[in-house]
Amino acid sequence: MNTSELLSRSENTLQSPGEENAPSSETQDPSQSSFKSIFGPSEVPEDTTDGEPDGNQHAPHTFRNVTATSAKLADESVAPFLAKHIPKQYAPLGSRTIETETSDLSGPNSKYCYRHRPELKCRRQADEPSMDKLQRDLETLPQSDQQGIAHVWSLFSAAPAKHRKLILQGIMAQCCFPQLSFVSATVRELIRIDFLTALPPEISFKILCYLDTTSLCKAAQVSRSWRALADDDVVWHRMCEQHIHRKCKKCGWGLPLLDRKRLRESKREIELRATTWNANIASSNPTPDSTEAGPSVESSGAIKRKSGANNDEEMAMVKRHCSSLGPRPGVDDDFFKPRFRPWKEVYKDRFKVGTNWKYGRCSIKTFKGHTNGVMCLQFEDNILATGSYDATIKIWDTETGEELRTLHGHESGIRCLQFDDTKLISGSMDRSLKVWNWRTGECISTYTGHRGGVIGLHFDASILASASVDKTIKIWNFEDKSTCLLRGHTDWVNAVKVDTVSRTVFSASDDCTVRLWDLDTKACIRTFHGHVGQVQQVVPLPREFEFEEHDAECENDNLSTASGDTEPASLQAALGLESNSLVSRPSVFGPTFDNGRPTPPRYMVTSALDSTIRLWETSTGRCLRTFFGHLEGVWALAADTLRIVTGAEDRMVKIWDPRTGKCERTFTGHSGPVTCIGLGDSRFATGSEDCEVRMYSFQS
Amino acid sequence: MAANQTLTFQSSDGVDITVDRDVAERSLLIKNMLEDLGDAQEAIPIPNVNEAVLKKVIEWCSYHKNDPPSTGDDDDSRRKTTDIDEWDQKFMQVDQEMLFEIILAANYLDIKGLLDVGCKTVANMIKGKSPEEIRKTFNIQNDFTPEEEDQIRRENEWAEDR
Repeated sequence: MNTSELLSRSENTLQSPGEENAPSSETQDPSQSSFKSIFGPSEVPEDTTDGEPDGNQHAPHTFRNVTATSAKLADESVAPFLAKHIPKQYAPLGSRTIETETSDLSGPNSKYCYRHRPELKCRRQADEPSMDKLQRDLETLPQSDQQGIAHVWSLFSAAPAKHRKLILQGIMAQCCFPQLSFVSATVRELIRIDFLTALPPEISFKILCYLDTTSLCKAAQVSRSWRALADDDVVWHRMCEQHIHRKCKKCGWGLPLLDRKRLRESKREIELRATTWNANIASSNPTPDSTEAGPSVESSGAIKRKSGANNDEEMAMVKRHCSSLGPRPGVDDDFFKPRFRPWKEVYKDRFKVGTNWKYGRCSIKTFKGHTNGVMCLQFEDNILATGSYDATIKIWDTETGEELRTLHGHESGIRCLQFDDTKLISGSMDRSLKVWNWRTGECISTYTGHRGGVIGLHFDASILASASVDKTIKIWNFEDKSTCLLRGHTDWVNAVKVDTVSRTVFSASDDCTVRLWDLDTKACIRTFHGHVGQVQQVVPLPREFEFEEHDAECENDNLSTASGDTEPASLQAALGLESNSLVSRPSVFGPTFDNGRPTPPRYMVTSALDSTIRLWETSTGRCLRTFFGHLEGVWALAADTLRIVTGAEDRMVKIWDPRTGKCERTFTGHSGPVTCIGLGDSRFATGSEDCEVRMYSFQS
Repeated sequence: MAANQTLTFQSSDGVDITVDRDVAERSLLIKNMLEDLGDAQEAIPIPNVNEAVLKKVIEWCSYHKNDPPSTGDDDDSRRKTTDIDEWDQKFMQVDQEMLFEIILAANYLDIKGLLDVGCKTVANMIKGKSPEEIRKTFNIQNDFTPEEEDQIRRENEWAEDR
């Protein structure tokens, strides 16, 4: 199609409305003020209205066809058109017939496009610089041309939505490509909508909830209305939820676990807030599109349905945390005090903790009092418990650094301990386990049964597992008082971890293997080979931990790669073979897991005296990653979804990123081997053979 | 065979559009309405959604008609990803007005997947930008005083990850 065709066709289109609106009544030129109300004060030249017929003589070529009758048009068609469509301003006295006509057209779509009612905030604002330029350019033209242009504008301005579309179609059809390109570029610049302010708040919140921390904080600086939305609890509560105990891939750090009770409690408040936000805040500042986009009743109904679903999801998430974390002693009441603190503040604090971890900014407290090497420790809230080769257990206040009491009773060094809010259980080289009331210091009972020192223990719910120098693991059931032995390791068993959900036990041994045991059959489900030194610790990772396959160091045979640099080729080959035989097992964990029984945690971390730490996939037996960096054997290991912390014979403590395998930081300070580590949201503690315990706090 | 039935939508500007029922039922509003009221014999008016937008929405629904029905709990919100699949990205390459209208229509018609994609698209337009760049993108007036602006900037400095 060529331009001249377009042109001739469009001329018809353009002229037809004028002909239809042939002079019905004699009207005078529109008044100055009414023009202003259409165009805004700066756009229309003062003299548009006093066009003279002789202006036609100077008609430029661009107006060849149209301007021949420009002045006449003004009288004959422009004025009536204006009168018809903006009667309030233009209708001359006595033109009753026109008024009745317009009342028919005053439906929602007649005068304005439904998005362009003047009272709507989303209506486009002309921007000053470009309007100034337009004004200047216009003023360079002869009066008559100015008038012609003004007529076109005023016609368009007065036209109802449908007519406007026709006018635009006609104009565009006349445009050649360079002009269309100009239109296209201009239009792209012009169609810019303040989405957050114009959309209903529930949708704006949804958009904001997709943003990362930094972008959200930038959004809060855009304007007042953006700030109100971007700082709101609805958004930041969600942010907190999303970062609980998981490392956000986008922003690269994780928010440590918040008290789950508080989260659940405020969930209701937040739901209420999200649904009533409109009424509370936006009432002073009505958002026009909530009425435009559909009845607000319907949209809030939709939100209710959605938030109900979210709630269930949230509950499921909380439950998962409960089970994976085990009992949390002494709910910290302090969490409830600042309940009305904005969630952005809460998030900010946790974010700071996250960056403090990242950049190693921490305060250090040292706990001195043991007279021999510290071999085990655990802390919860402000309580720290430590066990030592001096045969005592000490309870400390982490806030004050004060030693609260010493538990005497074991006859030999303490190698392992664990406490919850009611009891503390300890294992000693004297071959016994003791149960204590750690609040009073009283020893409640003593269990004997191992034929060697008890060097590892772990309890969860009603199951206690103890690991011993006698090469066995003993399972103690608190409920039915039954016990049983897990045999298989060929050397000292250094560590055990019970997984109540899947009814399995992990163990690490001096025989260089890690084993996974089925508590139902008492059988060993899987043996993990790979370490070439005595395995000291095993920690199953929380089920929320995610590891991406492409992060693995080698996709086919990680074991051999992982062992690569440190082992002779023959040994490597032997190990590789063994790992393959594991992988090719028909059923992943054996038939007892066929009937929907929960499987063991998918990932675990181990540390050994071969100076390495390994990350394993339990279902395949593959070693996904080996962490190199310690100079001597790794005695101590703690891990959560965000980080792995290790302590070694080389007196160093290292923090690792389990996903990248990078050592993020190395801490020195102990004057002896580091033997035990405790890890929390915002701090970790290390015990050493130098008789001291150091606590590193990343709280800001 | 309810699956091959067609429905007629009437856009806000009075245009009738025929839609396969399974496509139309991507809209929970329509789906619930059909369940409650039985089959609609005449055109279903879709107020607030004009022809151009309605056609666009139907295009999306047609492409996604075999997606598993949304169960309400979205993995997305937990994963917080703003990744958009390729077809949807192309689909969303429209001007801001069309994007705006699509979001409103998806919200009104209760088409979760489309609303998600629309919101993610806007989120991606905000991401990684400075306040001034955001204002430019969406033509927003900075209505803070210089003092306020400075104070708010300091309030939000912590998020710079330093």
